[in-house]
Amino acid sequence: MELVLSLGIGIMTGSGVWLILRPRTYQVIIGLSLLSYAVNLFIFGVGGLKVNGPAILADGTEAAALSDPVPQALVLTAIVIGFATTALFLVVLLAARGLTGTDHVDGREQSQ
Amino acid sequence: MNLGQHLIIAPILVPLVTGALLLLIDERRRLQKAMIGVASTIILFAVAVALFRFADSIDGPEAARQGVYLLGNWAAPFGIVLVVDRLSALMLVLTATLALPSLIFALARWHTAGAHFHSLFQFLLMGLNGAFLTGDLFNLFVFFEVLLAASYGLLLHGSGLLRVKAGLHYIAINLAAALLFLIGVSMIYGVTGTLNMADLAVRVASVEPQKRMLLEAGAGILGVAFLIKAGMWPLNFWLPPAYTAAAAPVAGIFAILTKVGIYVVLRLSLLVFGEGTSSSSGFGLQVLLIGGMATITFGAIGVLASQALGRLAGFSVLVSSGTLLMAIGLGSGAITTGALFYLASSTLTISAFFMLIELVERGQDAGASMLAVTMEVYGDADEDEPEEGGEGVALPGTMAVLGICFAACGILLAGLPPLSGFVAKFAMLSAMLEPAGSGSAALVPAVMWVVVFLIILSGLSALIAMTRSGIRTFWASLEGTKPRVLVIEVAPVLLLLLATLLLTVQAGPAMRYMDATARALSAPHQYIDAVTNARQVGPASAEVQQ
Amino acid sequence: MPERLLFFLLVLPFAGSIATALLLRTASRSLPAWLAGSVALIATITTALYYPSVTAGKVVRQEISWLPELGLNFTLRMDGFAWLFSMLVTGIGFLVVVYARYYMSAEDPIPRFFSFLLAFMGAMLGVVLSGNLIVLSIFWELTSIFSFLLIGYWYHNANARDGARMALTITGTGGFCLLVGVILLGHIVGSYDLDAVLAAGDVVRAHPLYVPTLILILIGALTKSAQFPFHFWLPNAMAAPTPVSAYLHSATMVKAGVFLLARLWPTLSGTFEWFWLLGLAGITSLVLGAYFAIFQRDLKGLLAYSTISHLGLIATLLSLGSPLAAVAAIFHMVNHATFKASLFMAAGIIDHETGTRDMQKLSGLYRFMPHTATLAMVACAAMAGVPLLNGFLSKEMFFAEAVETHADSILDRALPYIATIYGAFSVAYSIRFIHTVFFGPPPTDIPNPHPHEPPRWMRFPVESLVFACLIVGIVPSMSIGPFLSTAVLSVLGTETPHYSLAVWHGITLPLMMSVVAMVGGTILYSLLQKYLAHCEDGPPIFRHLRGQRIFERILVTVSWKWARWVEANLGTRRLQPQLRLVAGFSFAAAAIPLYLSGFEPKLAPLAQVDPAFAMIWIIGMLSAVSAALLAKYHRVAALVLLGGSGVVTCITFAWLSAPDLAITQLVVEIVTTVLLLLGLRWLPKRVGKIDESTMLSARLRRLRDFGLAVACGAGMSILAYAVMMQPVPDTIANYFLDNAYTQGGGKNVVNVILVDFRGFDTMGEITVLGIVALTVFALLRRFRPASESIGTTEQQQIQNAFDDAQPDRKPGDTVRDYLLVPSVVMQWMFPVIITFAIYLFLRGHDLPGGGFAGGITMAIAFLLQYLGGGTRWAEDRLRILPLRWIALGLLIAVATGVGSWFVGYPFLSSHSQYVALPFIGKVPAASALLFDLGVFSLVVGATVLILIAIAHQSIRTYRIRTEPKPEDT
Repeated sequence: MELVLSLGIGIMTGSGVWLILRPRTYQVIIGLSLLSYAVNLFIFGVGGLKVNGPAILADGTEAAALSDPVPQALVLTAIVIGFATTALFLVVLLAARGLTGTDHVDGREQSQ
Repeated sequence: MNLGQHLIIAPILVPLVTGALLLLIDERRRLQKAMIGVASTIILFAVAVALFRFADSIDGPEAARQGVYLLGNWAAPFGIVLVVDRLSALMLVLTATLALPSLIFALARWHTAGAHFHSLFQFLLMGLNGAFLTGDLFNLFVFFEVLLAASYGLLLHGSGLLRVKAGLHYIAINLAAALLFLIGVSMIYGVTGTLNMADLAVRVASVEPQKRMLLEAGAGILGVAFLIKAGMWPLNFWLPPAYTAAAAPVAGIFAILTKVGIYVVLRLSLLVFGEGTSSSSGFGLQVLLIGGMATITFGAIGVLASQALGRLAGFSVLVSSGTLLMAIGLGSGAITTGALFYLASSTLTISAFFMLIELVERGQDAGASMLAVTMEVYGDADEDEPEEGGEGVALPGTMAVLGICFAACGILLAGLPPLSGFVAKFAMLSAMLEPAGSGSAALVPAVMWVVVFLIILSGLSALIAMTRSGIRTFWASLEGTKPRVLVIEVAPVLLLLLATLLLTVQAGPAMRYMDATARALSAPHQYIDAVTNARQVGPASAEVQQ
Repeated sequence: MPERLLFFLLVLPFAGSIATALLLRTASRSLPAWLAGSVALIATITTALYYPSVTAGKVVRQEISWLPELGLNFTLRMDGFAWLFSMLVTGIGFLVVVYARYYMSAEDPIPRFFSFLLAFMGAMLGVVLSGNLIVLSIFWELTSIFSFLLIGYWYHNANARDGARMALTITGTGGFCLLVGVILLGHIVGSYDLDAVLAAGDVVRAHPLYVPTLILILIGALTKSAQFPFHFWLPNAMAAPTPVSAYLHSATMVKAGVFLLARLWPTLSGTFEWFWLLGLAGITSLVLGAYFAIFQRDLKGLLAYSTISHLGLIATLLSLGSPLAAVAAIFHMVNHATFKASLFMAAGIIDHETGTRDMQKLSGLYRFMPHTATLAMVACAAMAGVPLLNGFLSKEMFFAEAVETHADSILDRALPYIATIYGAFSVAYSIRFIHTVFFGPPPTDIPNPHPHEPPRWMRFPVESLVFACLIVGIVPSMSIGPFLSTAVLSVLGTETPHYSLAVWHGITLPLMMSVVAMVGGTILYSLLQKYLAHCEDGPPIFRHLRGQRIFERILVTVSWKWARWVEANLGTRRLQPQLRLVAGFSFAAAAIPLYLSGFEPKLAPLAQVDPAFAMIWIIGMLSAVSAALLAKYHRVAALVLLGGSGVVTCITFAWLSAPDLAITQLVVEIVTTVLLLLGLRWLPKRVGKIDESTMLSARLRRLRDFGLAVACGAGMSILAYAVMMQPVPDTIANYFLDNAYTQGGGKNVVNVILVDFRGFDTMGEITVLGIVALTVFALLRRFRPASESIGTTEQQQIQNAFDDAQPDRKPGDTVRDYLLVPSVVMQWMFPVIITFAIYLFLRGHDLPGGGFAGGITMAIAFLLQYLGGGTRWAEDRLRILPLRWIALGLLIAVATGVGSWFVGYPFLSSHSQYVALPFIGKVPAASALLFDLGVFSLVVGATVLILIAIAHQSIRTYRIRTEPKPEDT
């Protein structure tokens, strides 16, 4: 489990990093989204993984059975904020594209 | 629990509520919105001062506990806590002191340059105050995001090619920083199992080595996130363009943004990795020192190299950050005292300078061009372009007043007497050159010489650059175009400069406060005790009936 | 005299300065002068009245506490020496004001001039009177600042600007050094108080930090006193109005340096370093100054270089370290001030009357202005050191000291000869001044050909100063004697030597040297006369290496060329390098600590890997990588793939028993995708590959980025693995698990944390969402698309893009099939989704769901209407006021929190109970639910606002935008 997940996180991060280093705004936004998936999973993983444990406190379930709720709460917050910032970045890159006439991150095509 | 104790959360709630209420008012009723915004900011200032006085009166653990606010009445470390101590109170006052002038300045014309200026401004204040008050690592992240989101909005306020381009970079880099922040926090949680800073400080001591390395890795990543905000070289290239592109009043309040990063670094490095807390005490100080040196050098060079006043100001922000990082990196209480004084002084100065620049350049091309771009891009009848001049009383003897303000800014930036810039520099230098206290025969270590040299150098570069541009602006400028400047535009600048003057005259008390702050920081047990022993109200269970 | 008056004496000029400045608008020429004059006079009288209290080594002190923690108190201290200088500052100040009253023309902004002049007087008094080294350095810098303003007074003239800037740059730098120097000195002594410092001489000279301290303080003093190698700013400062030169460059500002050296003489002097450093600078300036002075064409230039040389003389005397020499130095400070000030004024009069200061144009002025000429000649004689004038006495003392052996060395042995040569030079330039200007034929080409005597009161200052020269010269012991001895006593204290001020000491070696100098000088001048009449400005050899030109060049090169180069090469304005740095730094930040503490990840057996899970993740990884590859040329495909990995994330959450995350992730996933799709429409078409890969540089860049990406990816996996594998610590989570139901009143712990334990986070989080919505809205109000992307409608765009994507679709993408569902179905779904949203929201406290999930779902319902029916169709049917929703959401959340104040609990304390609703059954009506309602409302508002704002762009009509200007600065 852990191994697969951490590999997955790694791959996502790698692709994300690669993308945010690209010159096109669209690549950057895709990269940031990938990175935020990776980070969310990372935060989640920090709490330790529990397969098909109970989701909620039913009567009689002892607390230990549940997976650590704190990272989950953090991830929820992170997801929301990630969503917001992605939306913002999208709009800004649209505006930039509109004003500069190009979708290069620097607003002008690099000669080299 | 009386209302007085709720004062601690007021700096967050007041702007939040104001910002929300402003949304219900129609965009066209500008005056009303402006008045509400100003009123809220004034209240905020009053609250900040009240908290400042309280913090100044903290003398023992009992008083310190009074400064802790348990949100939701959950005991630390489980709930989120807000903490008022000397440092946070200082930052609150500083924020409020910057906020009021910036807002007033904006009323002349800038608040009409786009939608929801006042709401965004209030939300920015909320984010700043929250970041300074919170005692919880993840909550800090949330407030970082609040203030960043608001800063995105304000940076883009008025839109235009330059702002959007600068904004794109600013946002991209800060998003990356936010991700780093999350990684760092979650790692620290994973290792220590807590998010509360004070609790963290306690638990760090007992982390076994196998985990400690992970903790340090997490702290390192977290540090990068903060240093990006603080503008450490080479993570700071986004800063000058962004600050230059921002509208003058926005840049005026942005002067505090880098200080948030500094604040957190100062707070956490001394709380979690402070003297003798654990085997990893003093973690990262070297990085701060060297990074600070690089930053101040880069900043000073940039100051020399910048033609436009805006960039000059942007780079002086870097000089300020570099100086502070260096001072923190040296990790000595006496130096920190001077550094805190410098923090206050330089923040006020830079804020004033950013607003002054807009007035000075208004007559000239450089300043006009920015607007021109906006105009040009949004040529077609855009109802909310800032109307030239704006309504209000024009200032008599404009050039003379602006000249005096400019000279004052120059003196402050270069650290020349008699203003607070000099006092700050003197305080830091004397602490640096007297490693073993006054009168001792101790020699000065080599690194100190480098630091001193860099500080002097930065002052010199500011002196040269400011005289050069001052002469160009006021002495060699072509006759004619006298900018039309309103009183409510100069008043804020004067207000801020007056604050620095006050800081100079009251240097004694101010320095005593900073000294107490520095000592509290380097001996954080009181902070920890206050947070961990803060009392809940009543039996927490009493409120739940099944 | 009462002590507290010292402060008054210091404040007086500044007050006067402000008062004068307020006359800014006055038309009267004389009013500011009267004001300034009376201030100066009062100051002079006050100072004079202090004399009785400083005689016989008595000291007047006044201390005002300022920054006691750092030993910085505002201490004023007047002793004999300070008194003497205060007299010079105030007295000559007064004369200068009188002079300036007639010198300045009506066009000049007179109030500004006098205001600056008084301010400078105040600063100078501060230097003289301060009894604390830091305070001294404060006033020291102030003199630099005000001299900058005074030199640049006529700023319309470029020379004035440059001169002012150079003076400030050099003296200011010196000031910085001085500050560090005095801090070190204070550190050695243990106090900045002057008395303490003067008492601690032996300690200081023995201290290992003595040399750096000395060097720094010397730099400060030498820059101020225009000593070699910092001398060149003074001649350029001659662009200042002549009264300024008469005041600053003869009596006060330049004297500050030697004043400080004399002040600290008991503490610092008498060592080898002191003699060599100061001596070399002094002697060089002494000779070079005099030599340069001979070859000046400009009268003021001549005087400036002569000042450098005379200050060199003083510095040399101080460097010798013998008490007698110190006496001579102090004496010469006074003498030089008197004759040089009068000479500057005379030069000013000449300039004023003839309109030029060029000695090759001037001649034979005696017949036009005999009176002034006489005065000037006497002063010149004093400068040359002619007997019966004050200059003679101090020069004789200097010669006497030169002959004596102090610190035996080449320099010391050479000194008599150097002194004589200097004497000859000074005689030469003095003669040149007199001869060329006043004798010979009447001037031919001068701007105003009819010069005459200046007004009576313009001559008065010159007269009084020259009178002083004579009195001191003839009856020294009866005139200057007592004052000098008071001053000397206060500096040297017990070391005070016996000296006589007699004019005639008999035939002595010094006298011989003087005679030689006189004769030599006269001969030298007669030889040079022809040459000087037509030579170009400046001395023969040195003409071409001019100090200030070198300085300017260095300044420009360093502060401009290099700085710009460095800034350009150590910084960047491009995004990619910056992100590269961020990635690199964060990698290092994590890697270095791990490396240092010898970290090695240990793998667990691969046995318990669930194949299905692995399968899913293989898909996830593939889609992530291919998204990375396709993002440039196949945007939609990349988007779909992104969604793929999003879904995998979502499944993972579900798999690992975190249903809340799964739900939230899913709904966010949907909305994000739609947003991006809406956005795609405005991006430029990218058909066909722009072939970068051929270019080597591009390939290398790619390779580097790839390496970085791999490194970061690997790093993250390792970190993640390490953190997951390590035993879970005792976390605060246990507390939550135990108390969620009993105290939070909810079974869904995650949700309870969100709305109760850490509700404050949620409040901040929704604020962020709200802010972003506002920003998006504000920005898009001003949105202008690029000209080529105006045209086809949104739906077409999406449909085409989607069809393009058909070939490389993967099974995982089917979730996104709602794009193909006909709009009718979407309309039918509207109520269903709304109900579901409300259901999600209500059950949130006990089951997966909650305000956020509910809110987003609600928003999706609206969104579907937009997608299905098109923007206009939707808006005809739905009236949503997103801003209201946002505002209300925030207010509800806050109100819930504040509510608990009234039952005496802190913000956001929750209160919960269950109420039975029809159909839904028992729902928890915790106050937290109300809070969650706020969340719900805000999320709906914000999401809808964002979506609408973007959706609206396609139905707006745009005018074709003109190309934007390129970025400036």
